[in-house]
Amino acid sequence: MKIKTPIIKSVLMILMFALAAVQPVSAGKKDDTMVIAFVREILNLDYMHTTKREYIMLSDLIDETLFHVDETTFEIKPNLAISYNYSDDKTIDVVLRQDVTFHDGSKMTADDVYYTYQYVIEDKANKPHKTTVRWLESVEKTGPYSVRFRLKTTYPLALRDMARRIRIRQNGIYGTTGNYDKNNQAATLNGLGPYKVKSFDPGKELILERFDKYFEGPKGKSAIAKIKIRSIPDLGTQQAELMTGNIDWIYNVPMDVAQSMGKTGRAVHLEGPSMRIGFIPLDAGGYSGEGNPLTKVNVRRAIIHAIDRENIITNLVGGTSKVIDSACHPIQFGCTDDVRKYEYNLEKAKALIADAGYPDGFKLDLWAYREQQVSEAIASDLTKAGIKVNLRYSKLSALNKARRARQIPAYFGTWASGGTADVAAIANVHWSIDSDRNLSGDPKVTELMLGAENTKDPGERKELYSKGLQLIADQAYWVPLYAFTANYLTSKDLSFPIPLDGLPRLYKTSWK
Amino acid sequence: MLRYFIRRGFMALLVALTVSIAAFVLLNVAVDPAMAIAGEDADLLLVEQIREQYGFDRPIFIQYFDWLFRIMRGDFGESYYWNKPVGELILSHAPVTLQLALMAIFVTVIISIPLATLAALKQNSLIDRFALSTAVSAQAIPNFWLGLIMIIMFSVTWQIFPVSGDDSFVHFILPSFVLGASSVPAVMRLTRNGLLDVMTSDYIRTARSKGFGGLRLLFKHAMRNALLPVVSVLAVQLGQKLGGSVITESVFAINGLGRLALESILGGDIPTVQMLVFVFALTFVIMTLVADLLNAWLDPRLRLG
Repeated sequence: MKIKTPIIKSVLMILMFALAAVQPVSAGKKDDTMVIAFVREILNLDYMHTTKREYIMLSDLIDETLFHVDETTFEIKPNLAISYNYSDDKTIDVVLRQDVTFHDGSKMTADDVYYTYQYVIEDKANKPHKTTVRWLESVEKTGPYSVRFRLKTTYPLALRDMARRIRIRQNGIYGTTGNYDKNNQAATLNGLGPYKVKSFDPGKELILERFDKYFEGPKGKSAIAKIKIRSIPDLGTQQAELMTGNIDWIYNVPMDVAQSMGKTGRAVHLEGPSMRIGFIPLDAGGYSGEGNPLTKVNVRRAIIHAIDRENIITNLVGGTSKVIDSACHPIQFGCTDDVRKYEYNLEKAKALIADAGYPDGFKLDLWAYREQQVSEAIASDLTKAGIKVNLRYSKLSALNKARRARQIPAYFGTWASGGTADVAAIANVHWSIDSDRNLSGDPKVTELMLGAENTKDPGERKELYSKGLQLIADQAYWVPLYAFTANYLTSKDLSFPIPLDGLPRLYKTSWK
Repeated sequence: MLRYFIRRGFMALLVALTVSIAAFVLLNVAVDPAMAIAGEDADLLLVEQIREQYGFDRPIFIQYFDWLFRIMRGDFGESYYWNKPVGELILSHAPVTLQLALMAIFVTVIISIPLATLAALKQNSLIDRFALSTAVSAQAIPNFWLGLIMIIMFSVTWQIFPVSGDDSFVHFILPSFVLGASSVPAVMRLTRNGLLDVMTSDYIRTARSKGFGGLRLLFKHAMRNALLPVVSVLAVQLGQKLGGSVITESVFAINGLGRLALESILGGDIPTVQMLVFVFALTFVIMTLVADLLNAWLDPRLRLG
């Protein structure tokens, strides 16, 4: 029995050492540090070369743009710009603020703005810059604090793109023409935003601290001193961290999880609208097989009639989700629901399918990459109407590959428009004639939906979108499904303003 | 012993080469590397430019030998997903996984050896049944489930250990328990059966007749022989831990090789995935070789096989 004592002593010592070494996580109101968790890893601080949503949120904290999208009215306001003027339809003169400082202490001037836009123009092969170089011809410096933009064509969304896409970089930061190093700002970023990078461990943790010399812009001064962003891939682990008070904010939480977490009293469940909509494009153009059943308008209309969207929302989606009838999000500029509507009517669906020449139904490959339960419910509804659905639930990359090869007759798609409240943010990607997402094969749709991008007149744009959306609904090129709900979980101390467009503005958070 | 070492080493080298071919060919056939670099919706022209620039248009066997020779020179390639050299990535993530694996093996040992000893000493008793059912349960419980249960109990309810992360030694306690638990059944059964065999052997009977007994007999005479095969099994288990901690690292947000592998797979980062598969396989091959050599050293009869 002599042997027991030292073993027990050792075990106790190890345990005491372990427990003594437990470091309280620096989080919460007490430390004025908001800790948030993302499922996706942050690998690169520079939003100029990425498109993912987490990076938009991060960039809104550390970067600035010439213009700002108002969080409630979605109006475009000057930000780093102090004023702007359209000399003509294709020329924008911008005057810059003179009180803006980079995180390294240097002043922002027209040289920085010129360099940034020139870099974008020259780096046109970079995917995130494609939208900008589609309309931007050139940029020139017209004074120490003024620049001029020349557009290739009349483009009403130029200010919006400047507000959402192009973050101003310091002159020369990526190097010089022909020798650009696009990774220069990947690990340490010298931005203009309300927070500056304190430390960054790619894929693990990012610590930001409030930038004291931040200018008096439309975003306002941020209330919280520090923000810590952690990568936690497992949602269950995120919840546990939230319940133990180590995390203050998580998003993209499934409805059932958010509701049950809210009921524990150890977290606050917030739900709000999301700019994301769900839809099913139908192969009216016959790309996946000439003369396939979806090329017949009555079959497409029958498909919309056959899906009980209200039931899906009530039982599966929940929250603030709403059925949409049009191929856009209801809050987007140019979106109208004055379109042909299709109520849930199974008998009518069956009759339309029979009228189209398929009394015994037909086979349909329905692809999906997310919302598995909803996809299964849709497949079940379509089966009731006599359509023998083969639900092909796959990875997004596999779906994209099959879609590029034009092998997909129908797929459950979603689109969040990058949080932009304008139909243009959904139209160009889905209705360009050369887009593999455009299964309509109808040049008229392209003409109307993209034509609205070539006029500045808001009334004319609305008119074009209205006609385009009516055509899409009338011909049932899409099954519009529903607008998503965004679920957030926060600590009890945190005050988080729910965004109307589903794009969280973390710089607006504060302690209760 | 030297001949045995050369023979087993040669076999291990062949296995490593086969794995390297499989890792390279499978990944390059399954994914178009040029498309993976260019990204979704990239222009076909850009994809072709990348294919030419990186040499993906060459025959696959030439690409393989090029890759192999580069590895032998210590050049593991460049990750276009992480924007870092792959070698640097692996080196920066390896210490965390190594710490986790070693702690997991420690957990395996401190659970399985005492439990197996008790089970062997009290064969067919309640303790024996408990030990065996523990082994069966540990084998049946998936890591992610056990991980979440441990988090709920020890982090959320009692708040003894941190939920996730890898900042300190304490952060590794729960994940190493979860990872180590899965090896308990194999080690425990092997130890128990070994002890049972040894305890009925002639030399133990002789020792007893000379007046030895109790713990002295157990630890000084029986355990030494019973644990010989366990040591080699632990070496193989360590190899498994080093390459098989993907789930545990994800659940506990540990930034090790497992998570690096997962993120690289999701990001379509072929150079990193390719190298990780090779490194994991190589680790396993080396640990198996070590186990073989240990066995041969401990039991000379094996060298003749």
